[in-house]
Amino acid sequence: MAFHNDGIDMTASDLDQEERAMIQEIKRSLSKFKKHRGNLIPILQSIQEKHSYLASAAMEMVASHLDISPSEVYGVATFYNQFRFHPPGRNQIKVCLGTACHVAGGDIILENFERKLGIKDGETTADREYSIERVACVGCCALAPVAVINDNVQGYMQPSKVEGIFLQFQIEREREERDKASE
Amino acid sequence: MIKLIVDEKEIETEEGRSVLQACLENGIFIPNLCFIKTRQQPHASCRLCFVEIEGFDRPVTSCTEKVREGLVVRTDTPPVRRLQRMAFKLLMSGHPCEAKVCPVKGGCQLIRTAKYLKVGLNPKPLEFLEREVEEEVDLTFFTYYPFRCVLCGKCVYVCREKNEHNLLTFAQRGFDTVIGFFGDIDPTDLPCHTCLACATICPTGALIPKPELTREAKSNP
Amino acid sequence: MSEQKAKKRFAPIQSESKHRMEEQKRESIPTIFLVMSTCGLASGAAETKQAFEEALSEKSIAARIVPVGCIGHCYAEPLVIIDHPTAGFPPICYYQINADRARILVRSYLEGGDPVLKYVLGAMEENDLIPAVMDFPRFSLEQRLVMEHCGLIDPDDIHQYIARGGYSGLVKALDSDPEEVINLIEESGLRGRGGAGFPSGRKWRIARTAEGDGKFVICNGDEGDPGAYMDRTILESNPHQLLEGLAICAHAVGANQSIVYVRAEYPLAVKAIQKAIKSAKELSLLGPSILGTSFSLEVSVFQGSGAFVCGEETALIQSIEGKRGMPQHRPPFPVEKGLWGRPTVVNNVKTLSAVPPIMVRGAEWFRTIGTERSPGTAIFSVVGNVKHPGLVEIAMGTSLRTLIFDVCGGIPNKKEFKAVQIGGPSGGCLPASFLDTPIDFDSLTQAGAMMGSGGMVVMDEDSCMVDVSRYFLDFTQKESCGKCTFCRMGTKHLLNILQRITKGEGRDGDLELLETLSKDIKDGSLCGLGKTAPNPVLTSLKYFREEYEAHINEKRCPALKCRALTAFYIDLEKCARGCEVCVGCCPVDAIFTTKGRKKAIDQELCVKCGECRVACPPEYDAVFKVSPPELAPVIERPPEDIKEKK
Repeated sequence: MAFHNDGIDMTASDLDQEERAMIQEIKRSLSKFKKHRGNLIPILQSIQEKHSYLASAAMEMVASHLDISPSEVYGVATFYNQFRFHPPGRNQIKVCLGTACHVAGGDIILENFERKLGIKDGETTADREYSIERVACVGCCALAPVAVINDNVQGYMQPSKVEGIFLQFQIEREREERDKASE
Repeated sequence: MIKLIVDEKEIETEEGRSVLQACLENGIFIPNLCFIKTRQQPHASCRLCFVEIEGFDRPVTSCTEKVREGLVVRTDTPPVRRLQRMAFKLLMSGHPCEAKVCPVKGGCQLIRTAKYLKVGLNPKPLEFLEREVEEEVDLTFFTYYPFRCVLCGKCVYVCREKNEHNLLTFAQRGFDTVIGFFGDIDPTDLPCHTCLACATICPTGALIPKPELTREAKSNP
Repeated sequence: MSEQKAKKRFAPIQSESKHRMEEQKRESIPTIFLVMSTCGLASGAAETKQAFEEALSEKSIAARIVPVGCIGHCYAEPLVIIDHPTAGFPPICYYQINADRARILVRSYLEGGDPVLKYVLGAMEENDLIPAVMDFPRFSLEQRLVMEHCGLIDPDDIHQYIARGGYSGLVKALDSDPEEVINLIEESGLRGRGGAGFPSGRKWRIARTAEGDGKFVICNGDEGDPGAYMDRTILESNPHQLLEGLAICAHAVGANQSIVYVRAEYPLAVKAIQKAIKSAKELSLLGPSILGTSFSLEVSVFQGSGAFVCGEETALIQSIEGKRGMPQHRPPFPVEKGLWGRPTVVNNVKTLSAVPPIMVRGAEWFRTIGTERSPGTAIFSVVGNVKHPGLVEIAMGTSLRTLIFDVCGGIPNKKEFKAVQIGGPSGGCLPASFLDTPIDFDSLTQAGAMMGSGGMVVMDEDSCMVDVSRYFLDFTQKESCGKCTFCRMGTKHLLNILQRITKGEGRDGDLELLETLSKDIKDGSLCGLGKTAPNPVLTSLKYFREEYEAHINEKRCPALKCRALTAFYIDLEKCARGCEVCVGCCPVDAIFTTKGRKKAIDQELCVKCGECRVACPPEYDAVFKVSPPELAPVIERPPEDIKEKK
């Protein structure tokens, strides 16, 4: 299967515009949080939930809102697994490598995703369509091995199921393109 | 005053002191890297200052134990030395160095510790651990050398004490932990010009002020 | 203390809840209880629900669909209980109900009155027609206190919990002196379910007598152990029992602020607990002057950001304070000086959830369950190579054998039991000779494992103990906070050595080094994570040393698991001419056709995923796995085939 790059390459100005809009939004939402150190992690979580990652500018803004140094924010953010510092792919693939999944061959599932997309865990494809992450345990051990595709938990994964997931993505994309063309 | 017995010798100290501080002030050396006298809650991260205290079934860190009347402390038992040597070997497995090229005048704290514990500066039988970090990292006013750093955290602490907003932080986690600086701040706004507390307190020469800064700091105290 | 003030205020709420339940029963339309917790959804419960809804409206059948939490029988998901009062059957539990089966159930049972026996797990009540689930060992050997209502009530509907007796423990506590409540918990012998087993009553007493106001109670739901998910299940399936326990605790120790700390990786649990707090506040069961008494309790939810070490109480508090979750030296203990410097009780989800039943039924009753030194029940998530994986709540003192073989059905696929890993990354691997060990805090610790958070992974003969140790060290090494030398550097060394061994690069002296390092890390580390991190290595070295030796001395993995030490090959005698099944499934095109038109594996390309072995039709069964890899016969790939590939 090939991954299309056409039409979704972003130019620098697109990115700038995207970032400007993000900064505006963060400015507005920060005012809802009290200036209390205990709010640091909830603030970072809410920013990531909305924008899917923590940009440098965002961390600076949080620091000045809470009146702490940007270093402090950075130190905290880099400590926790949850926080990302680069935009992830539009489709996020998380492969569980909890104990039960490991025993059931979770690493083989991860390898299949990696091979298919040509990226390693923690990376995003060049077209920003997919990113792969390994997660410690999503708590679905009885269904091992497990992968989480865009918040949908998929139990009893097999290498052949990996193929199926991409096939589905492709079908959806083709449908979207058709819909767009017919509009 | 409180009296306690260290290595069969009676020493006197004030209430509220840690065993480590009491010993150091009475001329009894216990290896340590992360201890700061004025720090309320000890960092207790370097794991070098082990001693045996009667009543405990295994060695304890002397920086975290408060002195008590009649406490019986031993600083050189085999279990203590075993843990100290292993802690030292572990530190050295991330700190490739030779005494000859040590950037710290008179040799750094690690060289002194090695001599005291009667071990070499190599990590044997442990292997040297590779890390995916740059050899030198630019922290605006300082050059940071991750391979020299033992993450004792003294720099982070003094920075916070001296400056309302601490500029240095621990960053990342676990084996990848480094000392970091983050922020889009105009260097002339930084207090580092006149401070240098972090570089002064570093026991291993991992934070070296850039020469131009040192000149400025000296001429502009 | 005013006489039974809370009880008087609670009475009308309770009768309202009971009234609602009876009202529903009187309607006599069928009720479909559908498990909609994380594991249910992962097995397709959302599709099942949609199918039920569509089929019901198509056939214009009036029925109620009630989403419920997890009953713990994960092997049977999506699990459905149908109560069809007019059909003449008791409520029936069905297993693995996908969308197609849901449609069949609507057509055959709800419309036609035939209960479709082939999908039935069992009846929910004793009767003469269908065997009742209570008679199956998976149910009868369990004893449910904490999970009593899980899977049987809608977690979003507080009235269902109240109608089944919920919140009466809190009412009783509010009408008693806090001192009496602490005495009761002390007498019950309840020990912390987070791992170490510290007596809860003693913890509460210290917090109560600790000086300082603005005390906190924190519920620790930062379940980071890979392989344990009971806290998630309780939060998703019956959050009210936890909130009730939390409020009883806060009342007893004199705290007016509390925090439920939940992993952000559990979005459903976060939603469930938020919803539960809201509905409890609406009924004045939480919030300001609860049930008209002078006791107020604020409850907020804090989402953990994914750091295993935050399960350690001092690190957890650091993270709530917006800092890096690095453990602090104890003392001072949080009960004296915790969150924001205030006395803070940190109790696990299971500990707090065990409190309401003790409050209602008394300490003596609690002590009749379990053992002398570990009263009550234990909850395990039994996963791995067992027939019926899931959550199990059993009385302390039950043997591992009963749990694994009787409750969970034993090892599937006619394989042999090899080991059970208990307590996750802090625990250990126990061999078959320990199967008769009773499950309680002290016996498990003595055996070298530990209760931990209750993760239990059962392993059959195909699991490699060296690989399992490597897996756990990989986990702890990644999750080490990096503060202290032993944990930061020591776990990395352990991992490196184990990695070498699993790759066949082990050498003389490795095992001795593993042992010395492990002992020193245990003795030298700052916090519980480091102190217990070497347990998986130490126990497996103790009980499975010969397996390590085979890896090092013979470069052989006896369980055929370590990929660098194994190879797949196709037996040409057994391979069928012209069959292409394995070729199609190989993700790396490593399978080629030999001169005799049979198949062989290019060892250079093979990634050892094992797909060909699964795909090879059973009548040929021609794919074999061997260790060391040199045992695989060498078959050259024809040169023209290689050219073609290029």
